[in-house]
Amino acid sequence: MSSLSIGYAPGTLAIWFALLSGAATCLVYYRALGLAPAGGAEPSAGYAEAIGFGRRLYAAFALSIVLASVLLMKALLSHDFRLSYVTSYSGRDLPTSFLLSTFWAGQEGSFLLWVFFGALIGFAVYLSAREQEAPVMIVYVLSFLGIVAILAKQPPFRFLAELPADGQGLNPLLQDYWMVIHPPVMFAGFASLSVPFAFALAALWQRRWDGWVVRAMPWALFTLVTLGTAILMGGYWAYKTLGWGGYWAWDPVENTSLVPWLATVALVHGMFLQKTREKHRKINLILAIVAYCCILYGTFLTRSGVLADFSVHSFVDLGITGWLVAIIVGALAIGFGMLAWRWREIPVDPDAAADAEEPFLSRSVLFILAVTLLSASAVVILLGTSSPLITRVTGKPAQVATSFYNITHTPLAAVMALLLAFVPFVSWKGETWGSIGKKAATSSAIGLLAGVVALLAGIRSAKDVMILTFCGAGLAANLETTILFVRRKAIRTMGGYLSHVGVAIMLAGILVSGVYERKEQVTLPKDTPVMVGRHEMTFRRTVLVNDDGVVKLPGELDPAQLADIRAKQAMEVEVKSPGGKVWKAYPKMYVNQRTNQMMANPDVQSTPLLDIYVSPQSYDPGQPAKSEGTVLHLKKGETKLAEGTLVKFLSFDVDMSQMDAGAKVVAVTANFEVGPAGAARPVSPKLIVRLGGGGDQVAEPAPVPGSKASLRMRKASASEGIAEVEVLGLSAAGDTKPATPETFSVDVTTKPLISLVWAGFYILTAGGILAMVRRARDAHRSALV
Amino acid sequence: MKKGYWAGAVLLLGFLALGLTTFSRSMTPYVGFDEARKAGRTVQVMGGLEKSSTHYDQATKTLHFTLVDPKTKAILPVAYSDVKPANFEDAVSIVAIGKWQGEELRAEKLLVKCPSKYQGQETEKAYGGGAKS
Repeated sequence: MSSLSIGYAPGTLAIWFALLSGAATCLVYYRALGLAPAGGAEPSAGYAEAIGFGRRLYAAFALSIVLASVLLMKALLSHDFRLSYVTSYSGRDLPTSFLLSTFWAGQEGSFLLWVFFGALIGFAVYLSAREQEAPVMIVYVLSFLGIVAILAKQPPFRFLAELPADGQGLNPLLQDYWMVIHPPVMFAGFASLSVPFAFALAALWQRRWDGWVVRAMPWALFTLVTLGTAILMGGYWAYKTLGWGGYWAWDPVENTSLVPWLATVALVHGMFLQKTREKHRKINLILAIVAYCCILYGTFLTRSGVLADFSVHSFVDLGITGWLVAIIVGALAIGFGMLAWRWREIPVDPDAAADAEEPFLSRSVLFILAVTLLSASAVVILLGTSSPLITRVTGKPAQVATSFYNITHTPLAAVMALLLAFVPFVSWKGETWGSIGKKAATSSAIGLLAGVVALLAGIRSAKDVMILTFCGAGLAANLETTILFVRRKAIRTMGGYLSHVGVAIMLAGILVSGVYERKEQVTLPKDTPVMVGRHEMTFRRTVLVNDDGVVKLPGELDPAQLADIRAKQAMEVEVKSPGGKVWKAYPKMYVNQRTNQMMANPDVQSTPLLDIYVSPQSYDPGQPAKSEGTVLHLKKGETKLAEGTLVKFLSFDVDMSQMDAGAKVVAVTANFEVGPAGAARPVSPKLIVRLGGGGDQVAEPAPVPGSKASLRMRKASASEGIAEVEVLGLSAAGDTKPATPETFSVDVTTKPLISLVWAGFYILTAGGILAMVRRARDAHRSALV
Repeated sequence: MKKGYWAGAVLLLGFLALGLTTFSRSMTPYVGFDEARKAGRTVQVMGGLEKSSTHYDQATKTLHFTLVDPKTKAILPVAYSDVKPANFEDAVSIVAIGKWQGEELRAEKLLVKCPSKYQGQETEKAYGGGAKS
């Protein structure tokens, strides 16, 4: 097997080649920068040539990353267990879709996936950067080189010394279709965070204070959409199949993707403000730099092992902590160093006189407040997530309770919802309270109506009623405006309002489903209806559910189908709603064959008003009634107590002379003494074992003279001299144990209006996409210098 | 316009103040088993699951189990009434966040660390190598 460990895998070579060509790309673009035409002049032939060379080198960089990714995927799909990574995360028992997902099941693969998306996005970046191509591409490529260096140090192409027959398989928790789709979207979002960062640094470098915003804004919206989608997918996965009881747990891994998203949402608002008013430049530069640094910091938190004791899914240290720290420090130093360097040059207010006249109740102010609130949310979450690190400095590491996030975000949500309700009615020119009041009359009335509905629905917390009122008004105000835009056939420009409609709906859903969920633990005996809240639940039977979701009985499984081979045990529970509708829930409870882990997946019935969430807790197959005495294990000469009576095992007599219907029969007679020393009586129960025929055995109990008790042999090991004997009739209560029923214990959670979270998110995303298309078009049309 | 900045600043300061006060109040320190018994507040403890100590009480709907300190072998009984985390039984170690109440730690939250997290390194231990590419 020595041949296996010789030489470098082509994938590793591709990564090294990417590292070199990436560095060369930066150098060539730097050369182009020196040849760049000054303000509006025709580009020189030298510049065009240098840019062309830079692009070809970038293609070499990107294609080597793509090649490395293809090689890893090929190794995974072809079960090339020579590779440590393939053996560690995949196995022959996985269907193709799950094999695809093993690519990003480990740290190295997920880093590669991140860079893979970065490489692809880069082609669009240099096309969209136009006049800013050279400086943007230098920063953009640099922002990935650190991770490529980690991959070169720790490539996923390491060989094993021996060739295993099969891999270790994929963690059963990750064997889910969401695992196939969620990480790629997440890493596409991560990778896209490099784009605003690159534009911001290029802006500082080249003093392009406003041009960068035009070019980078569609990219910030791209991040908003992809990262947002990925975050929500993760939440949905946690909710629907992982059985974590909810879609959000404020876990560090979740938080570290939420913080850059919030920073990006703030950035989008800030960019809009800068584009329209030509000021607030500093805040956008800071936000773009911070958003990228946050994703690096989050990667450090979750992959260095520093949070290993604080997170459900943080990785262990791969020996790259130092590298990650170096990359973060580098990014912060370059980012904030350049900010400091240019700080005094950044034009603050081109038109100070006009600014002084800007009234308080203007759209600018609302935008500033939005940026402030979103940043405050990001800072607070970052603070909470970093708590183990912060407290480590002063003593023992500690983590904040999740209530920290809920307490701090309740007022944030309230103010956000209130701002949403105002935004459509406040113009740039400014308003008076009276003019806003007039315009917002309808939406305020709808908000109040929402508050009344909340009261009628039984919500008694003043705080919750208030937030729901604001959400109602925010929804109505933005919906009103969206409809107006549709009527005016200005669909392309209504993205912002549409997003706000989604946000108002989401906030209401998050609040109601979180605060008003009801959890109950119940034990369901087989075929016996149990009332859970207003629903009647009946556990019917255990069944098997295959990978395609088809319910089968054990005999119906097709051993030729992988989906059937992978079928999992589930419990069929009938849920009858108060309206009489019956739904069959199939919460799964099964043992993963490979790891022997007990796995549980919930089942959810979703209706627009209420989700019923059935999560398995335990299953007891039940036992028929049986007669059972006290069982003793005795060695020769040993004495033990059974219900206060001494039992001593003396010896075996083995008789092999008998035959029964042609089969050899061994009759074992075990000799015991029962009773107190001196008054002990001999008792000799028998065990007759038929050899050959599957080892059937028949016990012949023997009564204990002078009592109601008897002894029955259960097992005999003549060679070791050990007898397993059951003492019957000693207990006053009798030996008969009543039958225990087959029962299934479940946690039943009802979550009202959780559908609003998903619905709101779809609308938010649709608005984000509309805005992205519009801003991309704007950027394409504008010729900047 | 200046008023706008002031409004923003006031809001920001308000939230940061709220954040910081809540921060120190909702902190759950990591402690040893002895300290957890005395702390009188919500703490975090970590330990291995003692084999066959798990017991589900149908009547109170509570999961009882015992954690063992991997170093000192000290034990700590824990009670937990929420949804049992997946692959609880296979945990390499369990983090319990909760408060000591008389005879057991009443956990609000459990974090379960599974052996699969260590997969990569185990493979190379088992089959040798990680031989440079």
